[in-house]
Amino acid sequence: MAQAPVLEVQDLRTYFFTRTGVVKAVDGVSFSLLPGETLGIVGESGSGKSMTALSIMGLVPKPAGKTVGGKVLLEGEDLLQKSANEMQHIRGRKICMILQDPMTSLNPVYTVGNQLIETLRMRDEGLGRGLKERAVELLSKVKIASPENRMGNYPHQMSGGMRQRVVGAIAMAGSPKVLIADEATTSLDATIQYQYLMLLKEIQKETGLSIIFITHDFGIVAKMCDRVAVMYAGKMVELAPVRDLFNKPSHPYTEALMRSVPNVDEEVDKLYAIEGQPPALDKLPPGCPFAPRCPYAFERCLHEYPTPVTVGEGHYAHCWKLV
Amino acid sequence: MSQNGAATEAVISVEKCQKYFPVSRGVVMRKTIGHVKAVDGISFKIKQGETYSLVGESGCGKTTTAKMILQVEKPTSGIIKFQGKDLAGFRSEEYREYRASVQAVFQDPWSSLNPRMRVGSIILEPLLTNQKLDKGEAKEKLESLLEEVGLHSFQGDYYPHEFSGGQRQRIAIARALSLQPKLIVLDEPVSALDVSIRAQIMNLLRDLQERYGVAYLLIAHNLATVRYMSHNVGVMYLGKIVEQAPTRELFNNPMHPYTKALISAALPSHPDIQREDIVLSGEIPSPLNPPSGCAFHPRCPFVMDRCSQELPMLKELKPDHEVSCHLY
Repeated sequence: MAQAPVLEVQDLRTYFFTRTGVVKAVDGVSFSLLPGETLGIVGESGSGKSMTALSIMGLVPKPAGKTVGGKVLLEGEDLLQKSANEMQHIRGRKICMILQDPMTSLNPVYTVGNQLIETLRMRDEGLGRGLKERAVELLSKVKIASPENRMGNYPHQMSGGMRQRVVGAIAMAGSPKVLIADEATTSLDATIQYQYLMLLKEIQKETGLSIIFITHDFGIVAKMCDRVAVMYAGKMVELAPVRDLFNKPSHPYTEALMRSVPNVDEEVDKLYAIEGQPPALDKLPPGCPFAPRCPYAFERCLHEYPTPVTVGEGHYAHCWKLV
Repeated sequence: MSQNGAATEAVISVEKCQKYFPVSRGVVMRKTIGHVKAVDGISFKIKQGETYSLVGESGCGKTTTAKMILQVEKPTSGIIKFQGKDLAGFRSEEYREYRASVQAVFQDPWSSLNPRMRVGSIILEPLLTNQKLDKGEAKEKLESLLEEVGLHSFQGDYYPHEFSGGQRQRIAIARALSLQPKLIVLDEPVSALDVSIRAQIMNLLRDLQERYGVAYLLIAHNLATVRYMSHNVGVMYLGKIVEQAPTRELFNNPMHPYTKALISAALPSHPDIQREDIVLSGEIPSPLNPPSGCAFHPRCPFVMDRCSQELPMLKELKPDHEVSCHLY
């Protein structure tokens, strides 16, 4: 693994400054992403996984939200130091994002072909005539049947799965290095979701793209990812190669979360239920945010946030129990 | 799981139910140009104290089936029997009783609770419309219901927005329980909730079933949830049940190609699990114009000549395990 990472995130902090106080949506997140690698970021709603993605893209909602610290190194260049114009240039060419709901990410009053060509025109200035052929090529790459005819369709004339493919085609238009899929398959039906995941895997194999999957579904992680980061209340509590995480979940939150998910492959007698709810991010306890729900919590957990502990090769967890 | 010996009696039985929605065209000269066959001749039974699940992708008719049981939609044809009696022949008094014995919990607890009512009134509303209670009795009843679903009694004075998603779903469950129903229709009860909260709600539902012997009709698309919650499962595709079996049998020995594909598409619980990889081509066809013969044949990996011409019938291949496929 001597490869240099495409993306390196160091101690990223994104806070929201509101009337009621500072909300620490992302609080010290660090990870790296190798070329062709798939990283999963799992967590519940409000854990900061989407905000991490938006911070990387430089799209944190302003003025309340602000990335106050850390570095986002894309091929060695810090994206947080770039101006808005420079970021505009980087988004779409080097780093792309697919969101959950394709109906809201596509423009309903333009045809699909129009939107694809628009993207291509923004990307490669000067490529005047070949645009239409390239757009058709992109549609066939995401396996849309009879792409020439589909170019004239509006988003509402397509099914959810097909729309999400179009979004994928638009994302691939700039041949990016990194693709962030934020709950990209959550709104799709099971068999369609599976098709889409397999398609992404195929594209990744062809192009050597690095993917970050943001999801709450351990199934997607098990099927797609090489490494996983688990987030809770804005903090990354565990980072591990995928097999290590499933075989030896080390942070009590990861362990509890895994035991509380029902299983298709075997019968479970009784699911473990984590008591209570995730904390409000503007009223975080001073120590470990999971301490109030943690069955192993002791005195130290309530006062001090744990330092990362190496559990195995490339496997870290933030927990005092492991020290 | 049920409390008494009446476990063999079906609380509800659906026999060859169909629901067609007319599709019309034109403004002045409106005429019907076709029908969407949302539910096309399905039959199943739910016994006391048991959970029957309907699984399938969007548009397969599972929610329409639930609506027919809740009497929101009238079936186009077919019979729904409640404790052995045909619903169509009910008089208003019997209807009232039926409505009280069949309750529902919906997917989205943000839209299913009235934001202007206090939680206590929301929970007691069905009770007060059906029974005469004085203030003291009502208060007592409310407290026991809140406690039953794991909430504090003082929380009855709060408004829905003061609760989290999981707690709201508990409120919806308390309301459904208030009339001691025989059947609760659960339409995607946990899919809007966070992962760590889902287990709490599923365990609560199972505990309540054990205690009261209430039957559930569970509508879900997540197979893992279905496997954990149910006794019997029906797999629906384009308005028809294509396979029906006890849960364990269905997951260990799926027979219909669609069921196999669904199980294959259910994401694994561990990275080392390798499954038979069945990636279905294409999408679900429109129920307005379903394919001839077996509706699944255009996507089926095992398709034969016969499949596009002849409609397969549901056959019992093993005790309680029914499949409609020409392969068998």
